[in-house]
Amino acid sequence: MKIFVIGAGQVGTTIVQALHDDHDVTVVDLDPARLEPLAHRYDVSTVEGNGASRRVLAEAGLASADLLIACTSRDEANIVSAMMSKAVAPRTTTIVRTTNPEYLEVWREGQLDVDFIVSSEVETAHAISRSIGVPAARQTDVFADGQIHLVEFDVEEGSSPTIVGVPMRQAPLPNDSKIAGIIRGEKMILPGGNEVIRPGDRIVVIGSPAAAQAWGELIAPGSGKVTDVVIFGAGRAGTAIARVLLEQGLGVRMIEADRERARMVAEALPRARVFHSTGVEPDFLERERIGEAQVAIFAMRDDMKNHYAATLARVHGVGFTIAIVHDPPAIEVFEHAGIDVTINPRAVTAEEIVRFAHDPRTQQVSMLEGDRFEVLDITTRPGSEYVGKAFRDMPIRGALIGAIVRDGTAIFPRGDDILRAGDRAIIFTESKRVPDVEQAL
Amino acid sequence: MSTQAGRARLIGRRRSLAVDLRGVANLVGALTKYLSLATLVPAGVALGYGESPWPFLGAGAIGGAVGVSAELATRGHRRLGVREGFLVVSLTWVVAAGIAALPYLLSGEPQLSKPIDAYFEGMSGFTTTGATVLTDNQELSRSLLFWRQLTQWLGGIGIIVLALTVLPRLRVGGRQLFESELPGPEIDSLRTRIRDTTRTIWLLYVALTVVLAGILWAYDLTGIDDAMTGYDAIAHALTTIPTGGFSTRFLSIEEFGAATQWTLVLFMILGGANFALLYRALVRRRPQALARDEEFRLYIALLAVAALVLCAQLVAEGIADGEEAIRQGVFQAVATMTTTGYSNADYVSWGPLALMTIAGLMFVGASAGSTSGSVKVVRHLLLGKLLRREIDQTVHPELVQPIRLNRKVVDERTLRAGSVFILLYIGIFIAGALLLMLDAARVGLDLTVLEAIGAAASALGNIGPAFGFAGPLGSYEPFSDASMGLLALLMLLGRLEVIPIVVLLTRRYWRNV
Repeated sequence: MKIFVIGAGQVGTTIVQALHDDHDVTVVDLDPARLEPLAHRYDVSTVEGNGASRRVLAEAGLASADLLIACTSRDEANIVSAMMSKAVAPRTTTIVRTTNPEYLEVWREGQLDVDFIVSSEVETAHAISRSIGVPAARQTDVFADGQIHLVEFDVEEGSSPTIVGVPMRQAPLPNDSKIAGIIRGEKMILPGGNEVIRPGDRIVVIGSPAAAQAWGELIAPGSGKVTDVVIFGAGRAGTAIARVLLEQGLGVRMIEADRERARMVAEALPRARVFHSTGVEPDFLERERIGEAQVAIFAMRDDMKNHYAATLARVHGVGFTIAIVHDPPAIEVFEHAGIDVTINPRAVTAEEIVRFAHDPRTQQVSMLEGDRFEVLDITTRPGSEYVGKAFRDMPIRGALIGAIVRDGTAIFPRGDDILRAGDRAIIFTESKRVPDVEQAL
Repeated sequence: MSTQAGRARLIGRRRSLAVDLRGVANLVGALTKYLSLATLVPAGVALGYGESPWPFLGAGAIGGAVGVSAELATRGHRRLGVREGFLVVSLTWVVAAGIAALPYLLSGEPQLSKPIDAYFEGMSGFTTTGATVLTDNQELSRSLLFWRQLTQWLGGIGIIVLALTVLPRLRVGGRQLFESELPGPEIDSLRTRIRDTTRTIWLLYVALTVVLAGILWAYDLTGIDDAMTGYDAIAHALTTIPTGGFSTRFLSIEEFGAATQWTLVLFMILGGANFALLYRALVRRRPQALARDEEFRLYIALLAVAALVLCAQLVAEGIADGEEAIRQGVFQAVATMTTTGYSNADYVSWGPLALMTIAGLMFVGASAGSTSGSVKVVRHLLLGKLLRREIDQTVHPELVQPIRLNRKVVDERTLRAGSVFILLYIGIFIAGALLLMLDAARVGLDLTVLEAIGAAASALGNIGPAFGFAGPLGSYEPFSDASMGLLALLMLLGRLEVIPIVVLLTRRYWRNV
């Protein structure tokens, strides 16, 4: 594939690093000092110039490109690059990186002529949601902008008797969810209605965020929900995280040092409790019992502030700390301080873009149990044998469609729903069957 | 360079007043002119009943002449801004009450022969209060009684126009509370929109009046209510929708049957609802808008609680029972809280808890965007939210809590204006009650604390009847002339929501430096 990468910053570099081996990559940036090290290290061609300029793109040979990735740190420049690309080469797929979730919203409504858009803030928020969303889960993955959750649980003796030991068709399973698979020792069972869940099983559930929470409560009663998350910093990143967590029904407190910003966020998020404070005043931390929070997330712009605040929060007794780290080398410093999870927004963004670049049709994959199982996110072809069929009539061939995304909205299909061409199917299957599944759809 | 004289000329002399009085006189004159035309209606009624139309035609002529001459004398002076607005609004109500008083004086009616009494009655009409100096309203001619009813209807429509067009520009806060409910795009073309909105609300006001008059008249024609007549039907429709409270009957609504009383309860509740909300619910057929509106929900809840307390009292004290107890309790709660001031029973003889409840209701009022007086439910609602926030913040001083009304964030300035209003309102009420006491001591009137408090609260809240001699079947006639003047001022303050008038008392209003 011939790929254009606009912007040779951290995101661009990570993308180049991942793609240069298999693809023909051209990097465009205004700053020769950023291009030079790339040209030295990887086998890529570099173009010095404005990636939002039609002339520059045309001269660099964009017309023959398959994919354009606009990942500078400027949202508007990225969008303009994508627009120019559509003008020069209408058949080139475009991916845009944005830091503003509003553009994501506009794109989802079909108002932005871009093939794929990745928001660092939203990706970061989903990454955080994966690590704390369902505490009882072994693993959580998020698809379709957070609308679909995949959760893997260990069923134990203490799990709710309403679902364990009862044929599944009689068990009161949470709405909008489906058991995608039961892993019993070496066996993988694609469950039918007569199947019974037993203690010791490992189950994979696909469902809405609320259903994932409900499952967590069924599998490990009293493991409870995370009801008290404190987010330090109510900037774009902090707000995006709060939005995602609130949607899942978690209790969110936010701390913001800027008065105006705090007020804005308090107005925008009625269910969050927003405090105007720097978050490092011992009096404040004591008064608000920040130490009793289950999770603290540090989403301020300054790594050093995040580091200090996180360390202080640990001193006050917060059990689980997650920090956003902007400068990759700083990750080590955070880990050294005992911060449990570090997330680099640019790395998360680059990963997401690379995943899409590998195969635009398969938007996201996720591995379970090492690499025994895979979850695919595949857009169905018009010619597929499954298109036009009701879900109950689909032959079971070691794969299960847990959810579909139609026009940007997640649907958890019932037996009489019908699969249409263009639907994105979220499929759970064994890794060895992946090629068959891709073939079939 | 310039000579001293030249410099002095350039600098000029300081203007003594920063308010364009001539412009104000011009506009008030024009409004007076139009208002005088309203006297033609009772003149027509007088002709119909074979009574003398001259008191009305005379009043119209005087009002018209004063208005036209004020307008002509100040022609060309139309520099009207926000500052002048305060004065225009206040003066218009002062003059309107004067026009209302003229027919009373010209008719030679002995109960209204003193100018201050006639003015009190006129102010009580135009402010939709319903307090009266009459000891026997049956002595008045039908046309004069009709004029009395009509002043309340005109006062009601006046306050609607004011609330929609003038008060908001004066930034007294009324607009924001009212506006938040109005449908349609926000800024588009503000001017057309205000005009459209005003017309819509007017039409609703007129339509409600017509419907009520029709229903009451139907009670007469079908014999459901023997006491009802066509005249009474129209007369009471004119004072129900603006939550006024004047009646053409000696015993007020007590003279009518149960059906009429219940109908009036319903229409008083409607008259006390936000008209913009009513428009949505009734005209746009979206009744769920009522249930979703926080103020309306609290309004109905408070009415229900007050009615329950009164009904329980009536039964417990053995004053009434069965349907009658419910009817009297509900009616009185609604009449007081909507600041209408009708009565269907003389509550003066009810127990102390009932009186306390009624006194408390005088400070509640109905919804913003209605013609009711007093504090209004939405201000209580916002104050309650403000208090809760203050209390929350004693424990969590850093907590940022925007206050929301119907899910929309309320501007901090609006909140402050609401709190300031309530403080001023209570302050003026206390001052009013004290002054009434003082004046009573001066003239040797035997005034009880409850009577003084009741009269001040009732006048300020535009309700009407108070306690003791000024109760529902009583009259304000025993008060001295000075007290009558004070009560008229309280009515005016209450009607214009205090601030536009208080502003006039500040030096900074009149001068730039």
